[in-house]
Amino acid sequence: MNILSLMGEDIVEFFTGFGNDFYLNFIKNARWKYLVNGLGVTMKVTLFAVLIGIALGFLVAIIRATHDKAGMMSPLLKAVLNVLNFLCNVYLTVIRGTPVLVQLLIIYFVIFASVRIDKSFVAIVAFGINSGAYVAEIVRGGIMSIDQGQFEAGRSLGFSFAQTMWYIIIPQTFKNVLPALGNEFIVLLKETSVAGYIALEDLTKGGDIIRSQTFSALLPLLAVAAIYLTLVIILSNLQKLLERRLRSSEK
Amino acid sequence: MKNNETKKTFNPDTDPLISVKDLKKSFKDLHALNGVSLDIYKGDVVFIVGPSGSGKSTFLRCLNRLEEPTSGEVYFEGVEITGRNVDINRHRQKMGMVFQQFNLFPHMTVMKNMTQAPRKLQHKSKEEAEAEARVLLDRVGLLDRADAYPNQLSGGQKQRIAIVRALCMKPDVMLFDEPTSALDPEMVGEVLQVMRGLAEEKMTMVVVTHEMAFAREVASKIVFMAEGQILETGTPEEFFNHPKTERLKSFLDRIL
Repeated sequence: MNILSLMGEDIVEFFTGFGNDFYLNFIKNARWKYLVNGLGVTMKVTLFAVLIGIALGFLVAIIRATHDKAGMMSPLLKAVLNVLNFLCNVYLTVIRGTPVLVQLLIIYFVIFASVRIDKSFVAIVAFGINSGAYVAEIVRGGIMSIDQGQFEAGRSLGFSFAQTMWYIIIPQTFKNVLPALGNEFIVLLKETSVAGYIALEDLTKGGDIIRSQTFSALLPLLAVAAIYLTLVIILSNLQKLLERRLRSSEK
Repeated sequence: MKNNETKKTFNPDTDPLISVKDLKKSFKDLHALNGVSLDIYKGDVVFIVGPSGSGKSTFLRCLNRLEEPTSGEVYFEGVEITGRNVDINRHRQKMGMVFQQFNLFPHMTVMKNMTQAPRKLQHKSKEEAEAEARVLLDRVGLLDRADAYPNQLSGGQKQRIAIVRALCMKPDVMLFDEPTSALDPEMVGEVLQVMRGLAEEKMTMVVVTHEMAFAREVASKIVFMAEGQILETGTPEEFFNHPKTERLKSFLDRIL
Protein backbone atom coordinates (compact mmCIF):
# COMPACT_ATOMS: atom_id res chain seq x y z
CA MET A 1 0.00 0.00 0.00
CA ASN A 2 2.70 2.30 1.11
CA ILE A 3 4.94 1.35 -1.77
CA LEU A 4 2.21 1.80 -4.33
CA SER A 5 1.36 5.27 -3.12
CA LEU A 6 5.06 6.13 -3.24
CA MET A 7 5.30 4.96 -6.83
CA GLY A 8 2.17 6.95 -7.61
CA GLU A 9 3.82 10.06 -6.28
CA ASP A 10 6.88 9.35 -8.40
CA ILE A 11 4.78 8.99 -11.48
CA VAL A 12 2.93 12.17 -10.80
CA GLU A 13 6.23 13.90 -10.14
CA PHE A 14 7.69 12.53 -13.36
CA PHE A 15 4.80 13.79 -15.42
CA THR A 16 4.72 17.20 -13.85
CA GLY A 17 8.50 17.35 -14.47
CA PHE A 18 8.01 16.39 -18.04
CA GLY A 19 5.25 18.93 -18.43
CA ASN A 20 7.44 21.63 -17.01
CA ASP A 21 10.32 20.62 -19.24
CA PHE A 22 8.07 20.55 -22.26
CA TYR A 23 6.69 23.97 -21.41
CA LEU A 24 10.14 25.38 -20.84
CA ASN A 25 11.67 24.04 -24.05
CA PHE A 26 8.89 24.40 -26.56
CA ILE A 27 6.09 26.66 -25.35
CA LYS A 28 7.76 29.38 -23.34
CA ASN A 29 8.85 32.34 -25.49
CA ALA A 30 7.49 30.38 -28.47
CA ARG A 31 10.70 28.36 -28.63
CA TRP A 32 9.03 25.78 -30.87
CA LYS A 33 9.51 28.33 -33.63
CA TYR A 34 13.24 27.53 -33.65
CA LEU A 35 12.39 23.99 -34.65
CA VAL A 36 9.73 24.92 -37.20
CA ASN A 37 11.86 27.57 -38.86
CA GLY A 38 14.90 25.28 -38.70
CA LEU A 39 12.91 22.51 -40.34
CA GLY A 40 11.99 24.92 -43.13
CA VAL A 41 15.63 25.83 -43.69
CA THR A 42 16.74 22.18 -43.64
CA MET A 43 14.09 21.22 -46.17
CA LYS A 44 14.88 24.17 -48.41
CA VAL A 45 18.63 23.45 -48.38
CA THR A 46 18.11 19.73 -48.98
CA LEU A 47 15.61 20.22 -51.78
CA PHE A 48 17.72 22.64 -53.79
CA ALA A 49 20.94 20.76 -53.06
CA VAL A 50 19.27 17.60 -54.39
CA LEU A 51 18.29 19.40 -57.59
CA ILE A 52 21.83 20.72 -58.09
CA GLY A 53 23.19 17.28 -57.23
CA ILE A 54 21.02 15.53 -59.82
CA ALA A 55 21.83 18.03 -62.56
CA LEU A 56 25.54 18.04 -61.82
CA GLY A 57 25.68 14.31 -61.25
CA PHE A 58 23.96 13.40 -64.52
CA LEU A 59 26.10 15.90 -66.42
CA VAL A 60 29.36 14.51 -65.05
CA ALA A 61 28.20 10.92 -65.47
CA ILE A 62 27.22 11.49 -69.09
CA ILE A 63 30.53 13.19 -69.87
CA ARG A 64 32.46 10.33 -68.31
CA ALA A 65 30.35 7.61 -69.92
CA THR A 66 30.61 9.34 -73.32
CA HIS A 67 34.37 9.52 -72.91
CA ASP A 68 34.50 5.80 -72.12
CA LYS A 69 31.93 4.56 -74.60
CA ALA A 70 31.69 6.79 -77.65
CA GLY A 71 33.32 5.41 -80.76
CA MET A 72 35.00 7.23 -83.59
CA MET A 73 34.73 11.02 -83.56
CA SER A 74 36.59 14.04 -84.87
CA PRO A 75 39.96 14.77 -83.21
CA LEU A 76 38.70 18.14 -81.97
CA LEU A 77 35.70 16.59 -80.24
CA LYS A 78 37.94 13.92 -78.78
CA ALA A 79 40.32 16.56 -77.36
CA VAL A 80 37.43 18.52 -75.83
CA LEU A 81 36.05 15.35 -74.31
CA ASN A 82 39.44 14.45 -72.84
CA VAL A 83 39.69 17.85 -71.16
CA LEU A 84 36.12 17.61 -69.81
CA ASN A 85 36.73 14.10 -68.57
CA PHE A 86 39.89 15.24 -66.80
CA LEU A 87 38.02 18.09 -65.10
CA CYS A 88 35.30 15.68 -64.01
CA ASN A 89 37.89 13.37 -62.52
CA VAL A 90 39.47 16.21 -60.56
CA TYR A 91 36.03 17.22 -59.28
CA LEU A 92 35.18 13.69 -58.19
CA THR A 93 38.53 13.11 -56.52
CA VAL A 94 38.55 16.37 -54.57
CA ILE A 95 34.90 16.28 -53.49
CA ARG A 96 34.86 12.65 -52.51
CA GLY A 97 38.28 12.93 -50.90
CA THR A 98 37.46 15.68 -48.41
CA PRO A 99 34.80 15.99 -45.69
CA VAL A 100 31.64 17.87 -46.63
CA LEU A 101 32.03 20.07 -43.55
CA VAL A 102 35.46 21.25 -44.71
CA GLN A 103 34.01 21.98 -48.15
CA LEU A 104 31.20 23.97 -46.57
CA LEU A 105 33.63 26.01 -44.46
CA ILE A 106 35.89 26.68 -47.45
CA ILE A 107 32.99 27.83 -49.58
CA TYR A 108 31.65 30.10 -46.82
CA PHE A 109 34.83 31.48 -45.28
CA VAL A 110 37.13 31.46 -48.33
CA ILE A 111 35.20 31.61 -51.58
CA PHE A 112 32.38 33.87 -50.35
CA ALA A 113 34.50 35.53 -47.66
CA SER A 114 34.36 39.04 -49.04
CA VAL A 115 30.68 39.11 -49.98
CA ARG A 116 27.63 39.29 -47.75
CA ILE A 117 25.60 36.39 -48.85
CA ASP A 118 22.59 34.39 -47.72
CA LYS A 119 23.89 31.47 -45.67
CA SER A 120 21.31 29.04 -46.94
CA PHE A 121 22.47 29.84 -50.47
CA VAL A 122 26.02 28.91 -49.46
CA ALA A 123 24.76 25.68 -47.90
CA ILE A 124 22.74 24.83 -51.03
CA VAL A 125 25.80 25.35 -53.23
CA ALA A 126 28.11 23.38 -50.94
CA PHE A 127 25.80 20.41 -50.43
CA GLY A 128 24.72 20.45 -54.08
CA ILE A 129 28.30 20.29 -55.32
CA ASN A 130 29.08 17.59 -52.79
CA SER A 131 26.05 15.48 -53.64
CA GLY A 132 26.72 15.84 -57.37
CA ALA A 133 29.94 13.87 -57.02
CA TYR A 134 28.20 10.92 -55.42
CA VAL A 135 25.25 11.05 -57.81
CA ALA A 136 27.72 11.11 -60.72
CA GLU A 137 29.29 7.84 -59.68
CA ILE A 138 25.91 6.23 -59.04
CA VAL A 139 24.62 7.30 -62.46
CA ARG A 140 27.81 6.37 -64.28
CA GLY A 141 27.59 2.90 -62.79
CA GLY A 142 23.98 2.78 -63.94
CA ILE A 143 24.87 3.79 -67.50
CA MET A 144 27.72 1.30 -67.71
CA SER A 145 25.46 -1.50 -66.47
CA ILE A 146 23.05 -1.10 -69.40
CA ASP A 147 23.64 -3.84 -71.94
CA GLN A 148 25.87 -2.80 -74.84
CA GLY A 149 23.19 -4.21 -77.15
CA GLN A 150 20.89 -1.33 -76.18
CA PHE A 151 23.44 1.18 -77.47
CA GLU A 152 23.91 -0.83 -80.64
CA ALA A 153 20.19 -1.19 -81.27
CA GLY A 154 19.74 2.56 -80.87
CA ARG A 155 22.67 3.43 -83.11
CA SER A 156 21.64 0.86 -85.73
CA LEU A 157 18.26 2.60 -86.09
CA GLY A 158 20.09 5.82 -86.91
CA PHE A 159 20.01 7.57 -83.55
CA SER A 160 23.07 9.69 -82.75
CA PHE A 161 25.06 8.95 -79.62
CA ALA A 162 23.25 11.76 -77.79
CA GLN A 163 19.80 10.60 -78.94
CA THR A 164 20.58 7.02 -77.95
CA MET A 165 21.59 8.27 -74.52
CA TRP A 166 18.50 10.41 -74.13
CA TYR A 167 15.78 8.11 -75.47
CA ILE A 168 17.17 4.71 -74.61
CA ILE A 169 19.96 4.66 -72.04
CA ILE A 170 19.06 7.39 -69.54
CA PRO A 171 15.44 6.26 -68.94
CA GLN A 172 16.66 2.74 -68.18
CA THR A 173 19.51 4.08 -66.06
CA PHE A 174 17.18 6.26 -64.05
CA LYS A 175 15.05 3.32 -63.09
CA ASN A 176 18.09 1.23 -62.16
CA VAL A 177 19.74 3.86 -59.99
CA LEU A 178 16.60 5.06 -58.24
CA PRO A 179 17.19 3.07 -55.03
CA ALA A 180 20.78 4.30 -54.78
CA LEU A 181 19.72 7.88 -55.55
CA GLY A 182 17.01 7.77 -52.91
CA ASN A 183 19.56 6.59 -50.42
CA GLU A 184 21.94 9.38 -51.39
CA PHE A 185 19.24 11.98 -50.75
CA ILE A 186 18.41 10.55 -47.35
CA VAL A 187 22.10 10.79 -46.49
CA LEU A 188 22.15 14.36 -47.81
CA LEU A 189 19.18 15.38 -45.67
CA LYS A 190 21.02 14.26 -42.54
CA GLU A 191 24.36 15.68 -43.70
CA THR A 192 22.91 19.19 -43.88
CA SER A 193 22.84 19.10 -40.07
CA VAL A 194 26.45 20.34 -40.08
CA ALA A 195 25.29 23.62 -41.63
CA GLY A 196 25.22 25.08 -38.13
CA TYR A 197 29.00 25.48 -38.47
CA ILE A 198 28.39 28.50 -40.68
CA ALA A 199 25.69 29.64 -38.22
CA LEU A 200 22.86 28.69 -40.54
CA GLU A 201 19.79 28.15 -38.38
CA ASP A 202 18.68 24.79 -39.67
CA LEU A 203 16.81 22.15 -37.69
CA THR A 204 19.82 20.93 -35.72
CA LYS A 205 20.92 24.46 -34.93
CA GLY A 206 17.35 25.30 -33.84
CA GLY A 207 17.39 22.52 -31.29
CA ASP A 208 20.81 23.63 -30.15
CA ILE A 209 19.65 27.20 -29.65
CA ILE A 210 16.82 25.99 -27.42
CA ARG A 211 19.28 23.89 -25.42
CA SER A 212 21.58 26.88 -24.93
CA GLN A 213 18.68 28.98 -23.64
CA THR A 214 17.05 26.42 -21.34
CA PHE A 215 20.15 24.44 -20.30
CA SER A 216 18.04 21.35 -20.87
CA ALA A 217 19.40 19.04 -23.56
CA LEU A 218 17.12 16.02 -23.56
CA LEU A 219 13.87 17.26 -25.04
CA PRO A 220 15.18 19.64 -27.73
CA LEU A 221 17.64 17.07 -29.07
CA LEU A 222 15.13 14.24 -28.96
CA ALA A 223 12.65 16.43 -30.79
CA VAL A 224 15.25 17.22 -33.47
CA ALA A 225 16.07 13.52 -33.85
CA ALA A 226 12.39 12.61 -34.08
CA ILE A 227 11.81 15.18 -36.82
CA TYR A 228 14.76 13.89 -38.89
CA LEU A 229 13.54 10.35 -38.41
CA THR A 230 10.03 11.27 -39.55
CA LEU A 231 11.39 13.01 -42.65
CA VAL A 232 13.55 10.01 -43.55
CA ILE A 233 10.65 7.60 -43.13
CA ILE A 234 8.48 9.78 -45.37
CA LEU A 235 11.25 9.97 -47.99
CA SER A 236 11.82 6.21 -47.91
CA ASN A 237 8.15 5.56 -48.47
CA LEU A 238 7.98 8.05 -51.33
CA GLN A 239 10.95 6.30 -52.89
CA LYS A 240 9.30 2.90 -52.58
CA LEU A 241 6.14 4.27 -54.13
CA LEU A 242 8.04 5.75 -57.08
CA GLU A 243 9.98 2.54 -57.63
CA ARG A 244 6.82 0.49 -57.63
CA ARG A 245 5.18 2.81 -60.15
CA LEU A 246 8.20 2.69 -62.45
CA ARG A 247 8.35 -1.07 -62.23
CA SER A 248 4.65 -1.52 -62.90
CA SER A 249 5.09 0.25 -66.25
CA GLU A 250 7.01 -2.83 -67.42
CA LYS A 251 4.44 -5.35 -66.45
CA MET B 1 39.81 20.33 -112.00
CA LYS B 2 36.63 18.33 -111.94
CA ASN B 3 36.47 14.85 -110.60
CA ASN B 4 33.63 13.22 -112.47
CA GLU B 5 34.26 9.76 -111.19
CA THR B 6 33.32 10.47 -107.57
CA LYS B 7 30.34 12.55 -108.68
CA LYS B 8 28.92 9.67 -110.66
CA THR B 9 25.32 9.15 -109.66
CA PHE B 10 24.31 5.88 -108.08
CA ASN B 11 22.18 3.61 -110.23
CA PRO B 12 20.42 1.09 -108.00
CA ASP B 13 19.77 -1.31 -110.86
CA THR B 14 23.33 -1.68 -112.09
CA ASP B 15 25.57 -0.57 -109.25
CA PRO B 16 26.05 -2.64 -106.10
CA LEU B 17 23.91 -1.46 -103.19
CA ILE B 18 26.78 -2.28 -100.86
CA SER B 19 30.32 -2.56 -102.07
CA VAL B 20 33.04 -3.67 -99.70
CA LYS B 21 36.67 -3.21 -100.72
CA ASP B 22 39.59 -4.88 -98.93
CA LEU B 23 38.07 -4.57 -95.50
CA LYS B 24 40.38 -5.25 -92.56
CA LYS B 25 39.64 -5.25 -88.87
CA SER B 26 41.96 -6.10 -86.04
CA PHE B 27 41.33 -6.19 -82.31
CA LYS B 28 44.77 -5.63 -80.79
CA ASP B 29 46.70 -8.70 -81.98
CA LEU B 30 43.70 -10.53 -83.38
CA HIS B 31 43.05 -10.10 -87.10
CA ALA B 32 39.32 -10.60 -87.38
CA LEU B 33 39.11 -9.57 -91.04
CA ASN B 34 42.02 -9.92 -93.45
CA GLY B 35 40.95 -8.08 -96.55
CA VAL B 36 37.35 -8.85 -97.45
CA SER B 37 35.76 -7.59 -100.67
CA LEU B 38 32.15 -8.19 -101.64
CA ASP B 39 29.45 -6.60 -103.79
CA ILE B 40 25.84 -6.86 -102.76
CA TYR B 41 23.16 -5.86 -105.27
CA LYS B 42 19.61 -4.76 -104.79
CA GLY B 43 17.37 -7.74 -104.08
CA ASP B 44 20.27 -10.02 -103.15
CA VAL B 45 19.76 -12.35 -100.24
CA VAL B 46 23.32 -12.98 -99.15
CA PHE B 47 23.99 -15.58 -96.49
CA ILE B 48 27.34 -15.49 -94.74
CA VAL B 49 28.34 -18.80 -93.20
CA GLY B 50 31.49 -20.26 -91.76
CA PRO B 51 32.98 -21.68 -88.58
CA SER B 52 32.76 -19.62 -85.43
CA GLY B 53 35.53 -17.07 -85.16
CA SER B 54 35.71 -16.72 -88.92
CA GLY B 55 34.85 -13.01 -88.74
CA LYS B 56 31.37 -13.18 -90.24
CA SER B 57 29.66 -11.22 -87.49
CA THR B 58 32.47 -8.68 -87.46
CA PHE B 59 32.08 -8.30 -91.22
CA LEU B 60 28.34 -7.71 -90.88
CA ARG B 61 28.85 -5.18 -88.11
CA CYS B 62 31.39 -3.31 -90.22
CA LEU B 63 28.74 -2.79 -92.90
CA ASN B 64 26.90 -0.23 -90.75
CA ARG B 65 30.01 0.67 -88.77
CA LEU B 66 28.85 -0.69 -85.45
CA GLU B 67 32.40 -1.97 -85.72
CA GLU B 68 34.92 0.52 -87.11
CA PRO B 69 37.03 -1.13 -89.82
CA THR B 70 40.78 -0.81 -89.37
CA SER B 71 41.19 -0.22 -93.10
CA GLY B 72 39.32 -0.71 -96.34
CA GLU B 73 36.15 0.89 -97.66
CA VAL B 74 32.44 0.29 -97.50
CA TYR B 75 30.24 1.97 -100.13
CA PHE B 76 26.50 2.14 -99.51
CA GLU B 77 24.32 3.42 -102.34
CA GLY B 78 27.40 4.89 -103.98
CA VAL B 79 28.64 6.76 -100.90
CA GLU B 80 31.76 5.75 -99.05
CA ILE B 81 30.38 5.45 -95.52
CA THR B 82 33.78 4.61 -94.04
CA GLY B 83 34.96 8.14 -94.84
CA ARG B 84 35.81 10.62 -92.11
CA ASN B 85 33.15 13.24 -92.79
CA VAL B 86 30.21 10.95 -93.36
CA ASP B 87 27.04 11.34 -91.32
CA ILE B 88 26.79 7.65 -90.53
CA ASN B 89 23.51 8.13 -88.62
CA ARG B 90 21.78 9.16 -91.83
CA HIS B 91 22.98 6.05 -93.67
CA ARG B 92 22.15 3.73 -90.78
CA GLN B 93 18.50 4.79 -91.12
CA LYS B 94 18.53 2.95 -94.43
CA MET B 95 20.26 -0.17 -93.04
CA GLY B 96 18.05 -2.13 -90.67
CA MET B 97 19.77 -4.46 -88.25
CA VAL B 98 18.54 -7.46 -86.28
CA PHE B 99 20.62 -8.81 -83.42
CA GLN B 100 21.08 -12.22 -81.88
CA GLN B 101 19.92 -10.91 -78.50
CA PHE B 102 16.93 -8.96 -79.97
CA ASN B 103 17.88 -5.77 -78.10
CA LEU B 104 14.34 -4.48 -77.79
CA PHE B 105 14.06 -1.45 -75.53
CA PRO B 106 12.64 -2.87 -72.29
CA HIS B 107 11.22 0.42 -71.02
CA MET B 108 9.02 0.93 -74.08
CA THR B 109 5.93 -0.88 -75.32
CA VAL B 110 6.14 -2.77 -78.57
CA MET B 111 4.45 0.17 -80.31
CA LYS B 112 6.90 2.69 -78.86
CA ASN B 113 9.83 0.45 -79.77
CA MET B 114 8.66 0.59 -83.36
CA THR B 115 7.62 4.22 -83.64
CA GLN B 116 10.38 5.99 -81.71
CA ALA B 117 12.90 6.08 -84.56
CA PRO B 118 10.45 6.99 -87.37
CA ARG B 119 9.00 9.78 -85.24
CA LYS B 120 12.27 11.25 -84.03
CA LEU B 121 14.41 10.67 -87.10
CA GLN B 122 11.93 10.87 -89.97
CA HIS B 123 9.65 13.32 -88.17
CA LYS B 124 6.53 11.30 -88.75
CA SER B 125 3.41 12.10 -86.79
CA LYS B 126 2.38 9.72 -84.03
CA GLU B 127 -0.67 8.63 -86.03
CA GLU B 128 1.28 7.99 -89.21
CA ALA B 129 4.06 6.06 -87.47
CA GLU B 130 1.59 3.97 -85.49
CA ALA B 131 -0.51 3.20 -88.55
CA GLU B 132 2.57 1.95 -90.38
CA ALA B 133 3.68 -0.03 -87.35
CA ARG B 134 0.26 -1.70 -87.10
CA VAL B 135 0.47 -2.85 -90.71
CA LEU B 136 3.83 -4.47 -90.00
CA LEU B 137 2.66 -5.96 -86.69
CA ASP B 138 -0.31 -7.46 -88.43
CA ARG B 139 1.98 -9.00 -91.02
CA VAL B 140 3.99 -10.83 -88.36
CA GLY B 141 0.83 -11.78 -86.47
CA LEU B 142 1.54 -9.68 -83.37
CA LEU B 143 -0.97 -6.87 -83.72
CA ASP B 144 -2.54 -7.84 -80.40
CA ARG B 145 0.79 -7.34 -78.59
CA ALA B 146 1.21 -3.67 -79.56
CA ASP B 147 0.81 -2.48 -75.97
CA ALA B 148 2.89 -5.24 -74.38
CA TYR B 149 6.34 -4.68 -72.96
CA PRO B 150 9.24 -6.78 -74.29
CA ASN B 151 9.59 -8.87 -71.12
CA GLN B 152 6.04 -10.10 -71.67
CA LEU B 153 6.98 -11.65 -75.02
CA SER B 154 8.52 -14.99 -75.95
CA GLY B 155 11.90 -15.07 -77.67
CA GLY B 156 10.38 -15.69 -81.06
CA GLN B 157 7.94 -12.83 -80.58
CA LYS B 158 10.76 -10.54 -79.49
CA GLN B 159 12.77 -11.28 -82.58
CA ARG B 160 9.78 -10.76 -84.86
CA ILE B 161 9.23 -7.39 -83.18
CA ALA B 162 12.92 -6.58 -83.61
CA ILE B 163 12.60 -7.28 -87.34
CA VAL B 164 9.54 -5.08 -87.82
CA ARG B 165 11.10 -2.37 -85.66
CA ALA B 166 13.93 -2.19 -88.17
CA LEU B 167 11.44 -2.33 -91.07
CA CYS B 168 9.60 0.71 -89.70
CA MET B 169 12.48 2.84 -90.95
CA LYS B 170 11.86 1.54 -94.48
CA PRO B 171 15.45 0.40 -94.91
CA ASP B 172 17.05 -0.44 -98.24
CA VAL B 173 18.90 -3.37 -96.74
CA MET B 174 18.40 -5.58 -93.70
CA LEU B 175 21.35 -7.00 -91.78
CA PHE B 176 20.74 -10.10 -89.65
CA ASP B 177 23.31 -11.11 -87.07
CA GLU B 178 22.53 -14.72 -86.12
CA PRO B 179 18.85 -13.91 -85.66
CA THR B 180 17.83 -17.38 -84.46
CA SER B 181 20.85 -18.41 -82.40
CA ALA B 182 19.40 -17.28 -79.07
CA LEU B 183 16.00 -18.87 -79.66
CA ASP B 184 14.51 -22.07 -78.33
CA PRO B 185 14.24 -24.55 -81.22
CA GLU B 186 10.45 -24.38 -81.39
CA MET B 187 10.61 -20.62 -81.95
CA VAL B 188 13.11 -20.61 -84.79
CA GLY B 189 10.47 -21.38 -87.40
CA GLU B 190 8.31 -18.32 -86.78
CA VAL B 191 11.32 -16.00 -87.20
CA LEU B 192 12.53 -17.75 -90.34
CA GLN B 193 9.00 -17.47 -91.72
CA VAL B 194 9.16 -13.68 -91.41
CA MET B 195 12.58 -13.59 -93.07
CA ARG B 196 11.34 -15.84 -95.87
CA GLY B 197 8.53 -13.37 -96.48
CA LEU B 198 11.01 -10.52 -96.72
CA ALA B 199 13.16 -12.40 -99.20
CA GLU B 200 10.11 -13.10 -101.35
CA GLU B 201 9.40 -9.37 -101.39
CA LYS B 202 12.88 -8.81 -102.78
CA MET B 203 14.21 -7.07 -99.70
CA THR B 204 17.99 -6.90 -99.88
CA MET B 205 19.27 -8.99 -97.00
CA VAL B 206 22.63 -9.93 -95.52
CA VAL B 207 22.29 -12.78 -93.08
CA VAL B 208 24.86 -14.34 -90.77
CA THR B 209 23.48 -17.66 -89.63
CA HIS B 210 24.06 -21.30 -88.80
CA GLU B 211 20.72 -22.36 -90.29
CA MET B 212 22.07 -24.22 -93.32
CA ALA B 213 18.78 -25.62 -94.53
CA PHE B 214 17.30 -22.15 -94.46
CA ALA B 215 20.29 -20.74 -96.34
CA ARG B 216 19.90 -23.37 -99.00
CA GLU B 217 16.23 -22.54 -99.41
CA VAL B 218 16.27 -18.74 -99.32
CA ALA B 219 19.73 -17.46 -100.28
CA SER B 220 20.48 -16.02 -103.67
CA LYS B 221 24.15 -16.14 -102.80
CA ILE B 222 26.13 -17.85 -100.08
CA VAL B 223 29.47 -16.53 -98.86
CA PHE B 224 31.82 -18.86 -97.02
CA MET B 225 34.20 -17.20 -94.60
CA ALA B 226 37.08 -18.64 -92.61
CA GLU B 227 39.96 -16.96 -90.81
CA GLY B 228 38.76 -13.51 -91.67
CA GLN B 229 38.58 -14.07 -95.40
CA ILE B 230 36.01 -15.00 -98.00
CA LEU B 231 37.06 -18.38 -99.33
CA GLU B 232 34.14 -19.07 -101.61
CA THR B 233 31.05 -17.38 -103.02
CA GLY B 234 28.28 -19.04 -104.96
CA THR B 235 24.65 -19.95 -105.38
CA PRO B 236 23.20 -22.48 -102.90
CA GLU B 237 23.49 -25.12 -105.63
CA GLU B 238 27.21 -24.46 -106.20
CA PHE B 239 27.83 -24.09 -102.50
CA PHE B 240 26.27 -27.33 -101.30
CA ASN B 241 26.75 -29.57 -104.32
CA HIS B 242 30.02 -28.38 -105.84
CA PRO B 243 32.22 -26.92 -103.14
CA LYS B 244 35.56 -25.90 -104.65
CA THR B 245 37.82 -25.51 -101.63
CA GLU B 246 38.89 -28.24 -99.23
CA ARG B 247 38.03 -25.96 -96.39
CA LEU B 248 34.40 -25.69 -97.43
CA LYS B 249 34.19 -29.42 -98.10
CA SER B 250 35.32 -30.28 -94.60
CA PHE B 251 33.00 -27.59 -93.18
CA LEU B 252 30.04 -29.08 -95.01
CA ASP B 253 31.03 -32.59 -93.93
CA ARG B 254 30.95 -31.52 -90.33
CA ILE B 255 27.65 -29.69 -90.36
CA LEU B 256 25.48 -31.69 -92.75
